[in-house]
Amino acid sequence: MKIVAVTACPTGIAHTYMAAEALERAAKSLGYSIKVETQGSIGIENKISQKEANEADLVIFAADVAVKEENRFKDKAIFRVEAQKVIKNAKAVIEEAVNQLKNK
Amino acid sequence: MVIDQNLIVLNLKSNRKEEVIKELAELAFAQGKITSVNDYVQTVLDREKLFTTGVGNGIAIPHGKTDSVKESMMVFAKLNQQIEWESLDGKPVDLVFLLGVPEKDANDLHLQILSRISRKLMDDTFVDKLRRSQTKDEVMDILNSI
Repeated sequence: MKIVAVTACPTGIAHTYMAAEALERAAKSLGYSIKVETQGSIGIENKISQKEANEADLVIFAADVAVKEENRFKDKAIFRVEAQKVIKNAKAVIEEAVNQLKNK
Repeated sequence: MVIDQNLIVLNLKSNRKEEVIKELAELAFAQGKITSVNDYVQTVLDREKLFTTGVGNGIAIPHGKTDSVKESMMVFAKLNQQIEWESLDGKPVDLVFLLGVPEKDANDLHLQILSRISRKLMDDTFVDKLRRSQTKDEVMDILNSI
């Protein structure tokens, strides 16, 4: 299972980065590989390439504002969630996203 | 510097969220980090209205992005008592990280330090260490270790 995720929040100072950390920790504990791109006050970091987007099994947007360059993921089903929900329980979010994927 | 001994408060007595934010903003003002307590506090409170900054595990990270912040900064406070912060996990808060950044901060390093601290708040060991710390030197050591 290859996951890519994008995190973003209105001020881009705190929640963006906490959500990214939460997703990385949760994916690791569940045995999934993940790449998390942050779109915060520093700009875009750890950017997901078009190739990585194409190859991903699952795309998660943990964002409270519009995600930049969303067209990278235009052929993908995107699991959208508030950043704070990921901070609260990233493991549950990933499990829910994976289940939704399996039931398609 | 983003992490500054003069911006650390142990044993803060305020027991309401708004008072905590105001008191810490006044400290930032006294240290020359912000130019207006009122403007900064209003920005932080407006941000609070969007989503709670009580991120769980007893931590709150109120923050504001406004030009009344001169350079990116963080005030850290340990509260004497746990207080209500409408947290994601419903638990009261005793560790507060008040962050401020200017609308345009040319210094990415400052922003990177703040982002690294935000990430570390998901690390229970890091948070436990901060909670157990007794002196400003200890807090400085922990914050500078990341």
